[in-house]
Amino acid sequence: MNSSLERSRKIRTAGVYAFFVIGSIVMIFPFVWMFLTSFKTVEESMIIPPTILPEAYQTKNYTDAMASLPFFALYKNTALMIFWRVVCAVIFSSMAGYAFAKLNFKYKNALFSLVLIQMMLPSQIFITPQYQMLAKVGLTNSIFGLVFPGLVSAFGTFFLRQAYMGIPNEIAEAAYLDGCNQWQSFVKVMAPLTKSSMAALAVFTAVFAYGDLMWPLIVNTDLKMMTLSSGLATLRGQFATNFPVMMAGSLLAMIPMVVLYLFFQKQFIEGVAMTGGK
Amino acid sequence: MKKLKNVLMLLAVSMLALLMSGCSKGSADGKTHLTFQIWDVNQRDGMQAVCDAYTEKHPDVVIEVQVTSWSEYWTKLEATAISNQMPDIFWMHTNEILKYADYGKIADLTDLYDSEDPEYYQKHFSEVSLSNVQGSDGRYYGVPKDKDTVGLVYNKEMFDAANVAYPTPDWTWDDLCEASQKIYDATGKYGYMAYGDDQLGYWNFVYQNGGYILAENNINGGFDNQATIDAMRFYMDLQKENWCPDQNYFAETSPGTAFFSEQGSMFFEGNWNILSEMNNYPNMIGKWDVAVLPKCPNPASGDGRATISNGLCYATSPTGKNYEIVKDVLRFFGSEEGQRIQGESGAAIPAYIGLESTWANVFDKFDYRLNVECFLDMFEYSVQSVNNKYRPTWKTKVTDSLLKIYSGQLSFEDGMKSMQDAINTAAEDD
Amino acid sequence: MSNNTAKASKHAKSESMWGYIMVAPTIIGLLALNIYPFLDTIKLSFSKTRPFGLYELRGIENYIQMFASAEFWRANLNTIYFCLLTVPIGIFLSLVVAVMLNTKIKGRTFFRAVFFLPMVVAPAAVAMVWKWIFNTEYGIINTILAHKVNWITDPGIVMVTCAIVAIWSAIGYDAVLLLSGLQNISKSYYEAASLDGATKVQQFFHITLPMVSPTLFVVLIMRLMSSIKVYDLIYMMIEESNPALTSAQSLMYLFYRESFVAGNRGLGSSVVIWTVALIGLVTIVQFWGQKKWVNYEV
Repeated sequence: MNSSLERSRKIRTAGVYAFFVIGSIVMIFPFVWMFLTSFKTVEESMIIPPTILPEAYQTKNYTDAMASLPFFALYKNTALMIFWRVVCAVIFSSMAGYAFAKLNFKYKNALFSLVLIQMMLPSQIFITPQYQMLAKVGLTNSIFGLVFPGLVSAFGTFFLRQAYMGIPNEIAEAAYLDGCNQWQSFVKVMAPLTKSSMAALAVFTAVFAYGDLMWPLIVNTDLKMMTLSSGLATLRGQFATNFPVMMAGSLLAMIPMVVLYLFFQKQFIEGVAMTGGK
Repeated sequence: MKKLKNVLMLLAVSMLALLMSGCSKGSADGKTHLTFQIWDVNQRDGMQAVCDAYTEKHPDVVIEVQVTSWSEYWTKLEATAISNQMPDIFWMHTNEILKYADYGKIADLTDLYDSEDPEYYQKHFSEVSLSNVQGSDGRYYGVPKDKDTVGLVYNKEMFDAANVAYPTPDWTWDDLCEASQKIYDATGKYGYMAYGDDQLGYWNFVYQNGGYILAENNINGGFDNQATIDAMRFYMDLQKENWCPDQNYFAETSPGTAFFSEQGSMFFEGNWNILSEMNNYPNMIGKWDVAVLPKCPNPASGDGRATISNGLCYATSPTGKNYEIVKDVLRFFGSEEGQRIQGESGAAIPAYIGLESTWANVFDKFDYRLNVECFLDMFEYSVQSVNNKYRPTWKTKVTDSLLKIYSGQLSFEDGMKSMQDAINTAAEDD
Repeated sequence: MSNNTAKASKHAKSESMWGYIMVAPTIIGLLALNIYPFLDTIKLSFSKTRPFGLYELRGIENYIQMFASAEFWRANLNTIYFCLLTVPIGIFLSLVVAVMLNTKIKGRTFFRAVFFLPMVVAPAAVAMVWKWIFNTEYGIINTILAHKVNWITDPGIVMVTCAIVAIWSAIGYDAVLLLSGLQNISKSYYEAASLDGATKVQQFFHITLPMVSPTLFVVLIMRLMSSIKVYDLIYMMIEESNPALTSAQSLMYLFYRESFVAGNRGLGSSVVIWTVALIGLVTIVQFWGQKKWVNYEV
């Protein structure tokens, strides 16, 4: 009895590992390819059939990429944009998400439908009007310009509303009976319970901001005010068919996100596991 | 309540900080700051050099060159035009100039040089260059910046391997095909790579054969003209030859990529790409060269020679607040000196007549000197790039039909008809 | 009694006041940044548009033209096909990944990093690498298969290729969200179930799935919406010169080509309105259907 249980557990573990190993290969493969290519010469990168390992590891692609883009400014701008977008998304979405989930007020459903409508709209239709608003106040080519479309987040509101919906009403009621007003019970009691969702939203917002391409390209054209993704797109204009330089540039652009991830991993993904309890 | 106050304060401060970080770059130095918008990163240094030459003489002016890549450039420029926030100076392309000129979004610069010489434009710029800066009313809406031609790029090693003589100015389409076949047979590499492009592809063949894409009235299409149809059929059938890849191949690998990875021996290239190709493929230097386009052996009309020539210009908004200063800058950009600096930087062939060789001389610095003069020789019989007001509307439809012919979804005849329809109905819709 | 109702009504009043204050920043932002451009799009969809924002109201002309266009119906089919290819498989895989990453296996930290990796690479680079991997001539996949499959240019395959890349890029996003939902589930439920002798599979269906269903619902809604709105990926994977273009043209790609390339904002806007209506319909069905499977407030 005991040994058969043991055996089925072992089989299951083996299955999980098999899944992960195969999955990992699929997930990682493009990165390995990018990495190897970033050391090849242009000529080698186009050989048929392709070489797997570079004939000679040359770092010229990295120096070329770094010479044509002000990477330090790009890192800084991207970091600032991500920081402000995350701060705004988490604060405003928490407030609105809580209100939509737990408070009663007139026109609540009508207002919430605005949130849903926004999620349905394709972002391409916002670009021109938003650009014009910014241009009118002369704030193009600025960090604020980069943050602008991300000041509020419909997705975040919806996502955190769902998180608050999952929290029993009794907890808020208990806080109310303890003499807290709505704001206090939100800040002191309810918000901390959604930490892991806030963390997920932060990650999500950061990743989305990082990948945002069209907006930064249009709003900030000064190379010193570009983000990593728009800088890379500019690099593509310069090295149209030079894949190795592009790969080197893309890998350089990934570094801060990888660092950020390692930081987040400890701070949130590991840390929140115990805080979600009710 | 105190907590709430703190939170609100924090919020207010962070919003303020956000705004501040945006406003921090004011211009308190008393100088006039101008922005100059372009789309080609490869020309940024060249443009900066031209601006520096101006600001050196006018220390009270600062010009900042900004690059927006081609795909976003027009979305952005139109947005700035609507909100009256256009850059002080910007590049204008023949694709778009009619729209901007007809709607009064770019300034009429016909009188720009009147105080100096009323005949300035006609004296220093070619007819093709000037027609590229004209609005529908025939007036000049930009200062000609550069001009370009399309040439034949070929791989010398492959020609040698197949024992074929290098292309000469009297090469015809037949020679092109013959050489392609020989190279393919001898080396297994592709010959001339004929892909579904207009400016770098079939337009050249159509005009060489005496056909046209747009009729004399510049409204109706030319895809019902026999000379056009014959040239189109010749060009599109090239992909059926074993020495030419098919359109599927080109969708993934541009002819340039194939050429520089030594998969093919010939393709058509605009002169504006040659310098960056020399810089990007150092190991290929000495293995390739350029020649004039082969001509049509039996044209329906004309002498069988043609190459498409396009050109950019510098433009400005008529309502910019620094309009007078900008006009002075533009006068400089169109001057002999401004054009010379542009040419010497290698950015492009100056539109200014007599300065063409400044661009060619830039190639002296390489170990192998390309015969880039062939691009200049072709100006003699160059044809203005195809354009009318409705081109944005018909361009995508014509491209779709072209691809459908290549993939067999449309017969050649039906394809020609639908291309013709696309051009004609675009004008009717207006 | 009357004292109590007074207190209750005061409570209700303060509740609605706080409600308005707390939603204000979001709602004001949405109105200015998103809803106003949307209303503008609706207006343009009924107009004959000219360059530089000029237009004349014309009625349903654009819609008639849109419904008469074969290209438009083709784009609808392409979009639906793309959703069918990506949403079920994508969500299933992300849920599996999230659940497994939530178990205590060795090397979990490493596997997490691996599955989240696609999120940190710029989308432009993603498309470039994959296009290269799928390249007919020198792509690594065809080299391994020793067979020339036209992954990107065959009209019958191109959508599958795009779907593979879409799923690959989205797994990390969806798994992060699902994982956060999983981690909000209190350990005590599992402990109690284990004591009752429930197996892992039973625990999954009776605890995990119901408890994570609100998050799963968000992920589903979001994934469906973004699949219907797919544009960037196809734009970057499919060159203008690709003969398979019409087989991969999604609704939003059609919008892009009409509005920004061909300059026909009016027709482009009606394509947007149609797409939004389609998403709206799907969302309403989702919200109606959620009552059957989404579990709030356990």
